[in-house]
Parts: sequence; C-alpha cells; structure tokens
Amino acid sequence: MNKRKLVAVIAVVGAAALALSACSSGTTPTKSAGKVTLTMWTGFTGGDRPGYAQIVKDFNASHPDIKVVQTVESWDTIEQKLPTAWLTGSGPDIAAPSSDPNVIANYVKTNSVLPIVTGSGTSKVNSAQLAPAAVKELTYNGKLYAIPANFASLSLYYNKKMFAAAGIANPPKTVAEFEADAKKLTLNNGQTQYGLSLADNQTIQMWPILQWLTGGDIVNSKGCSVLSSSASQAGLQTWADLVQNDHISPVGQTGAQADSLFQAGKAAMELNGPWAAPTYKAAGVDFGIATVPLASNGSKVTLGSIAPLAISAKTKYPAQAQEFLAYYTSKAQQEKFSLTTGFPPLRTDMGDDAKLKADPTVQVFNSQVPDARLYLPQLTNATEVDANGYVPLIGEITRGTSVATATAATTTTINGLTGCTK
Amino acid sequence: MTVSNPVGVRTARTPTPSGDASTRRPRRRWQPAVLFMVPSFLILGTFVIYPIVQSLLFSFENVTIGGPTTWIGFDNYVTLFKDSQFWNALVVTLEFTVASVAILVIVGFILALLLQGEGIVTRVVRSIFFFPTIVSLVTIGLVWKFLLDPNIGFVGGISDLLGLPPVAWLTSTSLALPTVVFVNIWKNLGFAMILLLAGLKGVPQERYEAARIDGARTLQIVRYITLPGIRPTMLFTTLILTIQTLQVFDLVFVMTGGGPLFTTDTLVNLLYRDAFVNYQTGYASAISFVLFVIIVVISALQLRFFRYNDVD
Amino acid sequence: MSTNTIRTRPVVSAGSRSRARDGFSVLRSSSKWIFLGIGVAAALIPFIWMLSGSFRSEADLFKNPASLFPTSITLHGYTGIWQQLPFLRLLANSFIFAGVTTAATLLFDSMCAYALSRLHFRGRTVAFWLVLATLMVPFQVTLIPVFIELFHLGWLNTYQGLIIPRATSAFGIFLFRQFFMSIPVELDEAARIDGASHWRIYWQVILPLSKPAIATVAILNFMNLWNDLLWPLVVTTSPNMLTLPAALTLFGGQHITDHAILLAGATISLLPIAIGFFFAQKYFVAGVATTGLK
Repeated sequence: MNKRKLVAVIAVVGAAALALSACSSGTTPTKSAGKVTLTMWTGFTGGDRPGYAQIVKDFNASHPDIKVVQTVESWDTIEQKLPTAWLTGSGPDIAAPSSDPNVIANYVKTNSVLPIVTGSGTSKVNSAQLAPAAVKELTYNGKLYAIPANFASLSLYYNKKMFAAAGIANPPKTVAEFEADAKKLTLNNGQTQYGLSLADNQTIQMWPILQWLTGGDIVNSKGCSVLSSSASQAGLQTWADLVQNDHISPVGQTGAQADSLFQAGKAAMELNGPWAAPTYKAAGVDFGIATVPLASNGSKVTLGSIAPLAISAKTKYPAQAQEFLAYYTSKAQQEKFSLTTGFPPLRTDMGDDAKLKADPTVQVFNSQVPDARLYLPQLTNATEVDANGYVPLIGEITRGTSVATATAATTTTINGLTGCTK
Repeated sequence: MTVSNPVGVRTARTPTPSGDASTRRPRRRWQPAVLFMVPSFLILGTFVIYPIVQSLLFSFENVTIGGPTTWIGFDNYVTLFKDSQFWNALVVTLEFTVASVAILVIVGFILALLLQGEGIVTRVVRSIFFFPTIVSLVTIGLVWKFLLDPNIGFVGGISDLLGLPPVAWLTSTSLALPTVVFVNIWKNLGFAMILLLAGLKGVPQERYEAARIDGARTLQIVRYITLPGIRPTMLFTTLILTIQTLQVFDLVFVMTGGGPLFTTDTLVNLLYRDAFVNYQTGYASAISFVLFVIIVVISALQLRFFRYNDVD
Repeated sequence: MSTNTIRTRPVVSAGSRSRARDGFSVLRSSSKWIFLGIGVAAALIPFIWMLSGSFRSEADLFKNPASLFPTSITLHGYTGIWQQLPFLRLLANSFIFAGVTTAATLLFDSMCAYALSRLHFRGRTVAFWLVLATLMVPFQVTLIPVFIELFHLGWLNTYQGLIIPRATSAFGIFLFRQFFMSIPVELDEAARIDGASHWRIYWQVILPLSKPAIATVAILNFMNLWNDLLWPLVVTTSPNMLTLPAALTLFGGQHITDHAILLAGATISLLPIAIGFFFAQKYFVAGVATTGLK
C-alpha cells in the first residue's frame, strides 16, 4: 500500500468515526413532550423471555405517557455492571440485578434501591396478595425493596417412556418410592440410563429438596449450620450412596448439563422449574410433570426460586416505575404471564382462576407454591455460603468423602460466614 | 486532567514548544519522543494505568461500591495469605501455566520445524493449525465443553461406540485441570508455532550449510544451530504465553466455572468471584496485585534465564 | 468425509516426494505426515462439529452424538437468531468497532514504538517497562474504575467510548518495537543527514519497511477486538450499540440451552473472521514469518 493510499484510508476511517460518534450522541433518547422513558435491565434469556416482553408491550400500549424499554443480557453481565451503573446514576430505572434474590441485601446496604410503596390501587404493589415467602425474602427493615419478577417452584419431570419400560405406572408419591424408582430406572446394559439427573453447581439447587424430603436442612433461623444433625446426616448419606454406589445420577453436573441429560433421553427424572417444559417439548421428549414426592414425615415440600425486580434510587421517575411494578403484579398480567410461561402467578389470590386451573403445567407448579421454601433465605453472605459451603459439600460427599467429615468442615465454614454464635 | 501521570510528569519537566520539535538539534531528542508517544501514553495513562493505580488503592481499603469505603492498610493482604482458597488458586494457576507453556513451546517448536517448507500442502496444514487461534476463547470453551460431555457429546458418543465407559472429563476432580489445559494448548498451539516459525526463518542459512558440510546429524543441527539461533524468539514466545496464561479466565469460566471442588479455580477466576459475585472489590484488587507481582517476577526470571540483553 | 480427504492428502504427497529417498526416510517422512494428519483432524473436528450442529435438531443431536453430520437439516438455529437480534446493525457495529480501533492502533502503536526504538531519551527503559507492565494486570481489575471514568466523560453507549480506550495496545507497541529494532539504523541516519525530520523518517523510511509487522499487528488486533466480549458489554447497554459476538452470548442461559441457536451463534460470529483469515492468511503467515522477531 503506498503512503498516499494509507493516508487516505486513515482519513476516511477517522472521518467515519467522527461522523458516527456525532450521530450516536445525537440520537440518545430524549424525552418528547411529557412522555417518560424507563429503562429496565433483565437477565431473562430463557424460554420464559416472551412472557416478560408481553407485560412490557401491554404496559406501553395501555400507558401512552410512559415507555418501558427492556433489555436482556446474561446475568453475569448485569452482575458486573449494575453496582457501578447504579452508583454513578448511569444505570437503568428498573432492574433485575441477579437471579439470586439475596443480592438485594447489597443494594439496600448501598442505598441503591428504592423501597416500594405497597398497598392497593393501580399505582401500588399489593404485597399482601403476593407469595409470602417471596415478600419476606425481599423485605429489609420492614420495607419491601423489590418485587419478585417470577416465583417458580420445582417439580418432578419424568420420562413416560422409561417409566413404562420399567413397568412403573405412576410417578413416585413418597420419598421411599422416589428412591426405589431412581434405582430401578438406572440401567447399565449397553445403553446408559440414569434414574435421576442431579446438578450441584451453577444451578438452582436441587439437593436441598432431597434433604428436606428426609428431614434434614442446611441452616436454622439463626444462620447456624444444622448439617451435622442426625437427620441431615442420614438424608445426605442416603442420597450420596444412591449417587455413588447405585449411580442414579452422574456426579458434578451443572444445571445446563442436568437439563441436557434429561432432554437427551438419558435420565428418567429431574427436579426442575417451569422454564424447562417448552424446551423439552421441542426436543420431542415424552415427559410428564408431577408434584415432588411427599417427605418421609408425610409433609409436602419443594424449593421455590425467585428473581427480584427493583427500582433504582437514582431514577428520575419513581412514580412511573412504581406504576409499572404495580401493573406487573396485577391479576390480569399475572394470568397472561402464567399461561405463556407455565410459571405460577405471583399472587396468592388467583387459586380459583379457571384458565390457570385448566392448564396442567401451571396447575402442577402452582399447587406447590404454598409448600415452596427458598434456598438460604435472608442469610448473611448467602452467595458465599453457597459457593464455599454447600456446593463443595455436595461435591465431596458424591465423590467419596464421608458425610460426617464433610458436614463437620462445612459447618465450620458456614458458621464463620454467617456469624452464627450458637 | 488529573489522570495523565507518566506523560504529564515528563512534559512538566520539559519546556515543550510543540511543533518545531523535529527541527531541533539532536541533543534535545526527548521532545520528538514525547510527541511520538503522546497518543499511546495518553490512552494507556487514562484507561489502563490510572485505573490500575486506583485499584491499587482499593486493595488497601474495604470497598463497597456506592457505600462507605474505609482504609484498612494491609488487612486484605493478611487475610489473603491466610485464605486456603487463595493458595489453592495460586497452585492451580502455576500448574496450569507451567504445563501449558512448556508443552506449547516444545510442540510448537516441533511443528515449526516440520512445517518450515513453502509447499502448498505445508502452507495449508500451517493455516489449519493456526485456525483455532482466531476463534474467541468463549466459543472454544463452549464447543469443547459440549464435545466432551460424556453422555451427549461427540467424544462421549465415540467412546460409547467403542464400548468404553463414559469419561467425566470436566467433572472429575483429577481430569478437569488436565482437560482444560489441553483445550488451552489446542487453542494456542498455532500461535506458538507461527511465532517460532518466524524465529526459524531468521536463522541464517549459511550456518546450516556449514554444519551439513561438517557432517552434522539432524539432532545436532537442532541442538547447536537452530536452538541458539532462535533464543530471542523463544524468549518472546515464552514471555507472551506466560503472561497470557497466568491470567487465564474465559476458558475456565466457560468450561468449569473453577470446579469441580475448586480444582480448576485460577487466580483470575477467584478474583472475578470476589469482585463481581461477593462484592469484595478491595479483596479482589489485593489478589490482582499479588498476581501482578508474580507475573513481574516470573517475567524477570525468564529474561535472566534467556540472558536477554536487548533492553538497554 | 471431508476430514479423511484432508488427512490422506498430505500422506500421498509425502510418499510421492520421497520416492527417490531410502526406506528409512520414507518411514520418517510418513510418520511425520501421520503425526500432522492427526493434528489437523484434531484442529478441524470441533469446527466441523460446530457447523453441522448448528443445522441439527435437538433430537438428532442427542440420538447420534457420535455423528459429525446432520441426518436432516434444520435452519431453526439461524432463523431464531435472525428473529431475536437486529442482525445487520450488530454486524455494522462490530466492523466499526474492530475496524476503526485497529486503524488507530496501528498508527499510535507504531508511533510509540518508533520513539521507544529509535529515539534516545531519559526514561526510555522505564517507559518501555510501563508499557509491558500494563500487559501484566488482568482486565477485570480495572473494570470498575474504567466504567466510572467513561461515565464521567459521558462516553457510555457511544462509539468513542467503545473505540478510544482501546485505540492503543501494549502488545502492538511491543511487537512494533521489536520489529523496528531489526531495521538497520544506517537507513534513518542516511535520511537524517539529508535533513529529514523524525516524522519523515518514521513515515517514509520505517513504516514502508514494516509492512509485515503492520499486517501482523493489524490481524492480531482485529481478531482480539472482534472476539472481545467483556469490553463491549461493559461500555454499551443499549442493544443497538452491542457488537455481534457480545450479543450472541445472550443465547447461553443458566439452565436451558437451545443448542442449535447456540451453535448457530458461534458459527455466525466466527464466520467473518474466518473469511478474513482465509483471504489475509497469506500476508499474515508471511508477515509473522518475516517479522524476524528479536
């Protein structure tokens, strides 16, 4: 390339850059004649994505003076950007900061989020009608700081073909049947087939359900580990043995791997949320969804998972943001959202809703909402308890470390993180 | 401007009448130097060096983004040196780096020797080996993670066809690290090969001819002519690969997330978790400065080892 | 089987070439090509699998994991992406970001390298080490301070915010400097005697001799910028400002992965750079190979 050409290229490129930057700064959203634009960051990349988009679309159509612009990014990206973005005031008006509701504690500490005005009426969030477990999780110092963007309960997905081939007529009803079926459905004759697809990392936790079914637990209300109690040890031992000796599940799967295993028709059962159903259907799996089997003491239990949705403390339009959240949690919108996504509605006053009752998927997940418990709710340093305590614990006991040794070590770790003093 | 430290200091010391710098007498050569370096150093100063300094300050503080920040001296470093996760990550990072760089340099050198020719086949093969280098680590991590899945991946499918039991490449505590190292080598082999090939081309042909006339065998030629001839390139390659590999993150993040049981938890992965998941910005900064010191020390050792006397 | 043809071709050509040699060297030569053939297969299979996977249905993928080829072709992965992303806009953003930044990098890096290799001034070694040191700090560390700076400058969500902070690269400066050191000093001394300014020596003597280094830095930088995910994600929030590879990360969710869409996304983001590599590789491999790095 001769030098005149090089100069020309650089000049053109430079001019183009200037022109583009000029045009980009010229087109930044401006508020036209009283119309307010609210930005909202979310990480809903899964099969439930259209459900959220529909709420935004309906809201914009029915509120000519407000426009909500929703962006979807991966949760990792949001977790990296949002704390700084909200601090500098360059962040969105509304955001789902993480798929883990515990992060709201951090934002409350840094005064980055607004308390939500609760009550009845179209501009207030009717918190009395929202799932109590979710409201409790998002309340700090008596104030609600976020609404649940969704509330999912986990149910038991089962592969009908494999159940038929093994001569099992119905999905398990009790934890004893659950264990027996998992063993019976595990095959190793040429074609590998697992009885249950369990994930223990990068996932919405499944192991707490197994623990609760057998009377165990992770922490008590004071934040002290109860993993070493005899009930906890017995439960962990049972399931660790099933994984290690009976090979009912591969060891150390991530959530995505566990889903793929069931989706590929290599596992007979999986504990999973409503978001999985459309994908399994598309992959041609012949599956059914049942409620989680009854615990050994006859009670009903499952795990509930919520993603929080909060308003920035620096938003210029708190009233409008508030109005959007109120609309989001309204009966009409929640009915529509449930029917699109299979998620249970956020409200507890929709049990008689005929349309929801008629949808078998929604029905299964919705029926378990009253029995759904959250994972490490309102626990100090919950993300570290998960990453440095619970995930390694399950990893160790499914790889041969004795339950007694592993739980003792984890108890020390967890109590150190939560500040439990007994 | 509060940010342009390096350049700012230098320009402050010098009365710079810009513009006529080039016509000055040779004794005052630092003026054109400043002009030539202004764009790069302005950018590096503002967007790299100043943020690094700021983050160095963070490492002595208890930082809450948006909340109160308190000066705690060396507390972060004290905690760090007592943290078993840090020591684990340090060992993992060093194992990862030593294995990757050693194999990359050796195999890359063998490939470069084999592919010196300019025939069409050699050129095609060379390009194919180089191809993984141009692909992003995230894509590579994603594809390999899927390929290696024991139950639904290609490698699992092949071993199934051969009647072998499924191997848990990425979820076994003993196999996960070697597997990620393998993928890292797979990705960077072409890069190492090309750099070393450049070095080989720089060795004067006369030396080879002289050796051949003396009746030297192939291995002797490699030992006494080739290796000494490409020492500077070896250094460059080793240095760049070491600096890169000590900071490995994307591949680990995508393939294992640091698991199983922290067996692939590298320092940058640990740093990421502390900064963006646990919100301990100060502590994460402390990790990064320990990593920085390690990189500087290892680079300096490599310069010594290769007796690099280029930097005046 | 395309992999097989590629694998066998080198062996055949090696055989024909070594006809004149003795048996031992035939053996050695063919073992060399077998070694290379295995390497070539290992280098290519993941990409073949990725490309074919982007056209396969989930059911097919899971039923025949050992197959490299689809039993039936579905475009579901590609249509899914087309429907969900402003594709052309993202493509344009990627080219602007990677292209303009690379052009600026070439200019600034070579200027800086000229000073570091050709001009003698106090603090030169310090300056060089400062440049090298910036390579040694992980990017994640500076993320938060850089974000705050860009906010104060008002550069978030703009092209200048994407481009300017990346418009110089320590690696480029390092590589240019090494290359310039290998150009004989007599050349610029001759020019200086003729009264040429430093700018003219740099522009008319050094740069024209540095085409291989320019090609190398250009390609390596373009590649790195194109593949960079974190930076565009940090600087931009509006979907209209994202680059293509960054936008494609949206399809790997925490739980459910639509494999066809995921692999189609990977294929699309790889395609432009693969095409570029195909056409530029002659210059590139030649470029690096003649750089004579010292």
